[in-house]
Amino acid sequence: MTALAVPEVETEHRIAGSGDAVLGYCMIAPLIVTMAALVFFPLAATVWDSLHRVNPMQPGTPFVGIANYVNMFSDGDLGRAWANTFIYVLIAVSIETAFGVLAAALINHVRIGRKWLLAAVVLPWALPAVVNAVIWLWIYQPGAGLLNGILVAFGLPFDNHVWFNDRASALIAVAVVHIWRMMPLTVVIALAAMQSIPGHLYEAARIDGATRSQMFFKITLPLIRGAVAVAMTNATVTAFNLFDEAWVLASSSLETRPILVQIYMETFQNLRFSYGMAMSLTVTVVSLLVSLVYVVRVYNTTRYE
Amino acid sequence: MQPGIGHRVVVWLGVALLLLWSLGPIYWNLVSSITPSADFSARPIHFFPEHFTLHHYLRLAGVDVGSLGETQVWAQFRAALWNSVLTSLASTVVCVAMSALGGYAFTRLNFPGRQTLFIAVVATLAIPGYAVLIPLYRLMISLHQVDTVTGVTAIYVSAYLPLSLWLLRSVFEQLPISLEEAAQLDGAGKLYIFFRIVLPLVGPGLTAASILTFLGAWGQYLVPLVFSPSATKPLTVLIPEFATKNFIDYGLITAAGSIAIIIPALVVVFLNRYLVSGLLAGSIK
Repeated sequence: MTALAVPEVETEHRIAGSGDAVLGYCMIAPLIVTMAALVFFPLAATVWDSLHRVNPMQPGTPFVGIANYVNMFSDGDLGRAWANTFIYVLIAVSIETAFGVLAAALINHVRIGRKWLLAAVVLPWALPAVVNAVIWLWIYQPGAGLLNGILVAFGLPFDNHVWFNDRASALIAVAVVHIWRMMPLTVVIALAAMQSIPGHLYEAARIDGATRSQMFFKITLPLIRGAVAVAMTNATVTAFNLFDEAWVLASSSLETRPILVQIYMETFQNLRFSYGMAMSLTVTVVSLLVSLVYVVRVYNTTRYE
Repeated sequence: MQPGIGHRVVVWLGVALLLLWSLGPIYWNLVSSITPSADFSARPIHFFPEHFTLHHYLRLAGVDVGSLGETQVWAQFRAALWNSVLTSLASTVVCVAMSALGGYAFTRLNFPGRQTLFIAVVATLAIPGYAVLIPLYRLMISLHQVDTVTGVTAIYVSAYLPLSLWLLRSVFEQLPISLEEAAQLDGAGKLYIFFRIVLPLVGPGLTAASILTFLGAWGQYLVPLVFSPSATKPLTVLIPEFATKNFIDYGLITAAGSIAIIIPALVVVFLNRYLVSGLLAGSIK
């Protein structure tokens, strides 16, 4: 229908025609309308409402300027939640990166059944985070759980040990569940990068008498640095977004409460909507800024080589 | 290259540890779901089940009702399973359809604002869901869509559209354009080309986008916790409710958990190639 007057030159790069614009807008319309209604508009509303007092229990929505943001600095529970979140990010990103790269190198070494090994490693990622959390809740269970059972079987005094009684072990327990779910992503990214390294580099290194660990540190690691930065960015953002594991394992406990649980409680239990929105925006910005650090560092180190 | 015996031992030890770490907790969940509750607190712990029972599954199915109040379990579980399947499938179909149409238009059709609109949609990948959650809640309340399948499906669609669009556009871009040009010279219309020539060629891309969307929706927790509190409650919201303050019913939890992981596990076993390709495309934003 639109093919009649197409100049030959234009078909070089796309099958363009006069009806393109109308058809194009029709084809993107469902997507754009959905995004506008359910993402762009709510995002703008979040920014706007965070400067007002929005609380269904109080009449009106007066403009309060940056009061919601200022209040965050004197909120003790929030400060605690920030501290917990930063601890989660630190533990999760470092463990996922170190062990994820190690696991990827290992899988890269395996010749037989690599496909099945990778499937087994990816599995925890594919499961609902809530199910992962209840699986581990059962493992951590004091009286009948697997963890204490194993420790007791080794003769250690861990009968009825409650892992959520002190803050350090509780934070680690939550972080482990998160790492169990998210490490596969780092493995997949690092493995793909390793498989794209040309084999002749290792061949040359072997002829020069390099050991396996030299090859890993001098060839593999430098060449997958970009991919590792990508993995770390993902790990950081998902660790900042930790909610499911903490909520299922320890619900509102102040000891383990991450920032997202704090937002959920302030918003949907205390109904401080605009305060919750100000907090949401702050976490978004902070998590993006932190991930930017890796991107910039990798960019700087790769630039002058 | 001749790997030394020491090196091989290290590799196999590493593989064993990796498998234990990845599958151990899942194994323990499956084993617990077929262990009688009475055996739960056995010490020393049995790593292999001593007695076998289907009691927990039968309770979920409402067949073997133990104590009072358990008649509710089957009704709740059946509804939650249905809600999970329905909302995940619906959002996958809608999301992939929208992003396939849009992705093709963004790749092959020329219209003003093409680049800007595409970037605007994909840029929201960097924005976590909770940044829009509260206004969405007010919007859904005003539209009376809280606790409806439509409401929660629409939110899942909007949540996974950017990723799906990003993935599918890169798939369309890799297609050789000569095929579409040949069809056009033969007089085929744009929509005919899209549906009859392009779509059959991008099956793997559509599979990857569908898998990511489905698994994402299947595992959602915070969104249904807010938007599906009762009538449309999915499995992810129901399962933690078996753990109350006073009593945690690990039999029910592990049985329901085992059922909730069947579909993701099947996807990983049979479609891992597409899943991994989707993960890679999605992570390199």
